[in-house]
Amino acid sequence: MDRHKYWRRLVLAVVAGVGVAVWVFPVLWALATSFKTERDVLAYPPVWLFEPTLANYREVLVGSSSIVPNLWSSLVVATLTTVLTMLIALPAAYALGRLRYPAKRASGFYVLGTQMLPPMGLIIPYYLVLQKMGALDTYAGLTVIYLTFALPFAIWLMVSYFEDVPFEMEEAALLDRAGRLRTLWYVILPQVRGGIAVTTIFVFLNAWNEFMFAVVLGGNRVRTVTVAMFNFISVEQTQWAKVAAGAMLAMLPVILIGFFAQRHIVKGLTVGAVKGGGRR
Amino acid sequence: MATRPARSLAAQERRFALALLVPALVVLLVTTTVPLVYLAWTSLMRLDLAMAYLSGFAGLDNYVKMGSDPRFWNSLVLTGIYTASTVILQVVIGLALALLVLQIPRGQALLRVGAILPIVLAPVVVGLFWRTLVLAPDFGLVDLVTRSLGLGSHNWLGDPDLALISVIAIHTWQWTPFAFLVLLASLATLPPDVYEAARLDRASAWQRFRHITLPLIRPAVVMVVILRTMTALSAFAAIFAATGGGPGSATEILNLYAYRTSFTELNLGYGSSLAMVLLAITLAISFLMFRLRRAR
Repeated sequence: MDRHKYWRRLVLAVVAGVGVAVWVFPVLWALATSFKTERDVLAYPPVWLFEPTLANYREVLVGSSSIVPNLWSSLVVATLTTVLTMLIALPAAYALGRLRYPAKRASGFYVLGTQMLPPMGLIIPYYLVLQKMGALDTYAGLTVIYLTFALPFAIWLMVSYFEDVPFEMEEAALLDRAGRLRTLWYVILPQVRGGIAVTTIFVFLNAWNEFMFAVVLGGNRVRTVTVAMFNFISVEQTQWAKVAAGAMLAMLPVILIGFFAQRHIVKGLTVGAVKGGGRR
Repeated sequence: MATRPARSLAAQERRFALALLVPALVVLLVTTTVPLVYLAWTSLMRLDLAMAYLSGFAGLDNYVKMGSDPRFWNSLVLTGIYTASTVILQVVIGLALALLVLQIPRGQALLRVGAILPIVLAPVVVGLFWRTLVLAPDFGLVDLVTRSLGLGSHNWLGDPDLALISVIAIHTWQWTPFAFLVLLASLATLPPDVYEAARLDRASAWQRFRHITLPLIRPAVVMVVILRTMTALSAFAAIFAATGGGPGSATEILNLYAYRTSFTELNLGYGSSLAMVLLAITLAISFLMFRLRRAR
């Protein structure tokens, strides 16, 4: 019986290990590649022990194909999107989650509906209008279209956190004549700090990783890292080591976020998916 | 006497709720609904940036044109294959792995970190990784394996049949962790005493799964299916980076066809009508699935 249990556990561990290796290995492989010379990249059989070089990172940081301006573009757009989204989404989510008012179901459905819209449906009108306004290749233009996916997502995720706060807290504060706004600010918001953190992380992540809007509505001034990575491959076809180094730099922020906020991320995925909203 | 303050409290609550809600609703209206109305309008236009002098109202011409456009029908079929296969693969693999991992007492945290990695990566970077390091002929990881096994080298993204399988594999690779993590969390909340009772009744493992586990996690499974379907219908960056929709139109799902028509061939009128079809399909499917979720 015990031996049976032992084998069972071993098999389970092996299967799970293989499963995770499939996810982790390509990324580790890319990491290793970013430290190789282009010659080592194309060695067959592959070299496992190679002399690591920082030349690729030097190239993508300070070289002619530096992605630092692109990292800056991404940072600006993602930060603007996150701040605006949270400012607009938090009050709306509070109302949707906790207050009584007419047409509540309808407004909830409307927000959910906007979350289901395919980005392809939005990009053509945005392109035409921004072109007419001369606002292609601007931070403002890109940030506004980023709100279309960030806002519905943030509202629904926050609603599920607001719903978890016991209603007695508000009643007590209101009986003390604390005023609605003060109650929200001093009593309720501290209760959903965790939710605010999760939502902020997700909105920033999604904005950082966005590609289609950025490639169409960006340009020479506003070129995010995702667009820069794509251009890299078409220009530097065979220079995989350089591409890998660029990709590692571009993805460093989100990988760090994923690593340090892993508990929050799992919770965010689950809350969103199990309760209703949340689209990644 | 007691009702008046209560009523004014309710009125005050209504006003407060509207004040909080209006900014978000106005922003959503202006940034999503108004553009969609404009899209519906441009889908009725002849709007070809390469031949701007021909632009003008065209009625339903764009929609009529679809009927005899083999590339459109091809993209519809590919969208169906791509969406169905990626969603099924993600849910089946994710659920199987979650059921397995649930029985491992230690090391779950490590598994979670590994699973989060693909989710946080930008799809365009995932597409690039696969195009170069994983699927490239001769030097990609997959070819290194097939070559060492004596199966030879394949052009995974250059051969039309293999390319479709490859982009399905890429999507499945990136998003299965989502299904896995959500279903694992859902499974972890199930009450253990039900299983004890079932075990005493000598229910087999399959019976326990079929009659206890599955009904209990059904809401989570349906939600995963809805969210993954939406993502698959709007898949873009990974395919665009890996194959660009090609070779030819072998991986050109409707989303990519609408994009290429609009921004490569600059035919924004026809592109708009293709986007309208995608919009209709997406909303219809999400509506159906949400009804399915509430049924039972």
